[in-house]
Amino acid sequence: MEATAQLPAWRTNLATIGALMTRARNELLRVPGAAIPGVLAPTIFFLGLNGVFGALTQLNGFSTGSYEAFIVPVSMLQGAGFTGAAAGVNLARDIEAGWLDRLLVSPTPRWVLLAGTVLAASARALIPATFVIAIALALGAGFPGLDGLAIAYLMVAAMAAIAACWGSMLALRFKSQSAAPLMQSGMMALILFTPAYAPLALLSGWLADVARINPATDVLEAARQGFVGAVTWADTWPGLLAVAGMLALLGGLALREMRRTAV
Amino acid sequence: MPAIVAEGLERAFGEVLAVQGIDLAVEEGEIYGFLGPNGAGKTTTVRMLTTLLLPTGGRASVAGHDVSAEARAVRRSIGVALQEAALDPLMTGRELIRLQATLQGIPTAEGRRRADDLLERVDLAGAADRRVGTYSGGMQRRLDLAAALVHEPRVLFLDEPTTGLDPVSRKTIWEEVRALNNEGTTVFLTTQYLEEADQLADDVGIIDSGRIVAEGTPESLKAEIGNPHIQLQLAEGSVAEAEAKLGEIGRLLPPKDGKKVLVEVENGAADIPRVVRILDEAGIAVEALELVRPTLDDVFVAKTGYHLEEESEENSEQEPVGA
Amino acid sequence: MNGRASLATNLRVVRALGMRSVRQTFRRPQLIAPIIVFPTLLLAIQTGGASAAVELPGFPPVQSFLQFMLAGAIMQSLMLAGNSGGIALAVDIEMGFTDRLFAAPIPRFAIVLGRLAGTAALGLFGALWFLAIGLIFGAEIESGVAGALLAVALATAAACAVGGIGAAIALRTGSASVVQGLFPLVLVVLFVSSAFFPQELMIEPAKTIAAYNPLSFVAEGIREPMISGIDATDTLEALAAIAGIIILGLALSARALRHRLRVG
Ligand SMILES: Nc1ncnc2c1ncn2[C@@H]1O[C@H](COP(=O)(O)OP(=O)(O)OP(=O)(O)O)[C@@H](O)[C@H]1O
Ligand SMILES: [Mg+2]
Repeated sequence: MEATAQLPAWRTNLATIGALMTRARNELLRVPGAAIPGVLAPTIFFLGLNGVFGALTQLNGFSTGSYEAFIVPVSMLQGAGFTGAAAGVNLARDIEAGWLDRLLVSPTPRWVLLAGTVLAASARALIPATFVIAIALALGAGFPGLDGLAIAYLMVAAMAAIAACWGSMLALRFKSQSAAPLMQSGMMALILFTPAYAPLALLSGWLADVARINPATDVLEAARQGFVGAVTWADTWPGLLAVAGMLALLGGLALREMRRTAV
Repeated sequence: MPAIVAEGLERAFGEVLAVQGIDLAVEEGEIYGFLGPNGAGKTTTVRMLTTLLLPTGGRASVAGHDVSAEARAVRRSIGVALQEAALDPLMTGRELIRLQATLQGIPTAEGRRRADDLLERVDLAGAADRRVGTYSGGMQRRLDLAAALVHEPRVLFLDEPTTGLDPVSRKTIWEEVRALNNEGTTVFLTTQYLEEADQLADDVGIIDSGRIVAEGTPESLKAEIGNPHIQLQLAEGSVAEAEAKLGEIGRLLPPKDGKKVLVEVENGAADIPRVVRILDEAGIAVEALELVRPTLDDVFVAKTGYHLEEESEENSEQEPVGA
Repeated sequence: MNGRASLATNLRVVRALGMRSVRQTFRRPQLIAPIIVFPTLLLAIQTGGASAAVELPGFPPVQSFLQFMLAGAIMQSLMLAGNSGGIALAVDIEMGFTDRLFAAPIPRFAIVLGRLAGTAALGLFGALWFLAIGLIFGAEIESGVAGALLAVALATAAACAVGGIGAAIALRTGSASVVQGLFPLVLVVLFVSSAFFPQELMIEPAKTIAAYNPLSFVAEGIREPMISGIDATDTLEALAAIAGIIILGLALSARALRHRLRVG
């Protein structure tokens, strides 16, 4: 009676991650308008901040005269944070509905279940990022160069994964969609308590202090470098390190919660 | 070796003791009916046996593996259809079964073939490419059942598979469960329906307030209760007098409502004239009378002191005898 | 039917529904948290990140950027309150609660008015919250208690007005996720108003739109008593803008109600 044909474990795991990503994609394609908020929010932030605070570049301390260029990576990362946290909200909904139980009673390793959610969020975050870049380029922001663009996209995918780990951790802990504001505002704080609106030197004292210790500052600087100047290794490696650190920490915490669902 | 074993299994949620020390053994190839009212602890037990919930006391093993220590191995051997059938309304039935096949490590081509077979088997082939959100309640249950079968599990857990279904859909599920069992699958099934346990199960465990209060084959449980009883409906106000008279010929059972008297009789139908004569002599008018053979409800009453189901035509084995 | 219910009866119904919606609002973290959390976060980020803006030539004289931004945070909070009220109504529709109300012999508008009471309570709560934050972090209210009361009153009225539009959309669509999806739109209309920055210093085309955006008038009405003094013109303009939004909301709600009763 035991199932006859069994794939090797690694292929099963890959196939499962793929299937979970497909399900997330279906959600995007089959709910009319589901993709819109994820794209709209960062675009609006981009256009709005630009219209409202554009005059800031007249102040001393900006390395670029184009506020569009300065703010594009912020909006891209915000889109990633928003999308990743939304993955957490969706997981909470799946828990409330009992869908997660279906996955949990299968022999799939728990990290595979988490990876499906997280990678789907990473992939999905590329949509709003692309949208924001297209608008920024249309409005006259300079092309960041292929290397700058690649790094920006990498940071977007990583930030979405970090946000998805954060959101999943909260979803698994609270088992309720009412944790959604916490998921969203946590990511918003992480991404915006950085030199998002103005360079470090122009931030008021307390925000400058927070930004200096916030690892997201390094992620933002890495994503921003191509838009405001040349791409350098010195601006890149701290971003990679920050991303790896946050992924390890939040991924570990989320995995721990995933393993504790039966408690 | 039994397919499912539980020893002193317990689960507490804070102060609430949902399951308080359950012992059971389900043999390979058996259908085990877990019968109990709302809140008895059926779902909690199933969630522990299927590794979704850790016991807070005792131990259990399924297909030879401990549910806490060897959860992965347990998950490989079981199929589960939970009470709150969580189906993604945006997926089609076919997609759901294929996803389930992937989760169980079945190669793609094989998964597709099994999905087609299973959808055929539960009579959903026509609706396979429609979104689950458009399915009726009965179709969703059948799909959930099919999903649980995709890896041909040795042990199948069904938590209230027919609650809320109409009699026809219920029979469809029963037939499917019997067929699976004939192919060798061990089935652990919870239900609040007496008839379901009676018809389907080889062995029944009756659970109330987190404890198993009776266990055995439906026949042995009913035989344990003993004799049939006569149920009398009387005019208002004569119940006490009738009880006094009838108490002399047999044991009185707790009535389901205030106008009825239930008296146990040894000889079945042969005792009816005697009962009628006694009441007639006492001048008590009988509105209705029937002979009732023991049901699992009587077993339940005997063990807990109250009824599992409200009285209904459908699931009592009554023989109207006129009035 | 035994004729029209008296005004007193209708008021009682509105009060009962209003109490329910206020209670429901404060019991659901999903409804109340965004109204406080997001504007507070944004206030912190914007005052920290753009505080140097006060040095830009043409920036109005203010004690600090925080003092200037308080009105922006209040605007954001009251817009979100209107949105939350719409979400709550849509949830009621999804759960079938409004059907129960529609089936009862009460005027339809009582359902909308009752809902707006909850929205008003949220708006009031938000305004008080941000006044408190301002005071804690050292922003002064230049025109004193009277000015603070004026700002709070305008904010509460504006929350009701925006809530009317939220309710109309909820009635029309009957879907909580659609109303929820309007959340970014709330930010759009605010960004093209003078809520976050002086209109003269904004960049085209936002600058021109902000000059005509009714929310600019509401924002200035709330801001003036905080950064300078009570000004009759600003106050009247704010009231006019609020009245305009109320009329729009009522008209849309009435249409949506008729539509809902027609399509069932
Ligand atoms: N997560 C939980 N937290 C607290 N109490 C719980 C939890 N899950 C179950 N319970 C309690 O445990 C008891 C048994 O619940 P359980 O769901 O196992 O009953 P059941 O027999 O499946 O009932 P039903 O027929 O209604 O499905 C109930 O009193 C319930 O309130
Ligand atoms: Mg149950």
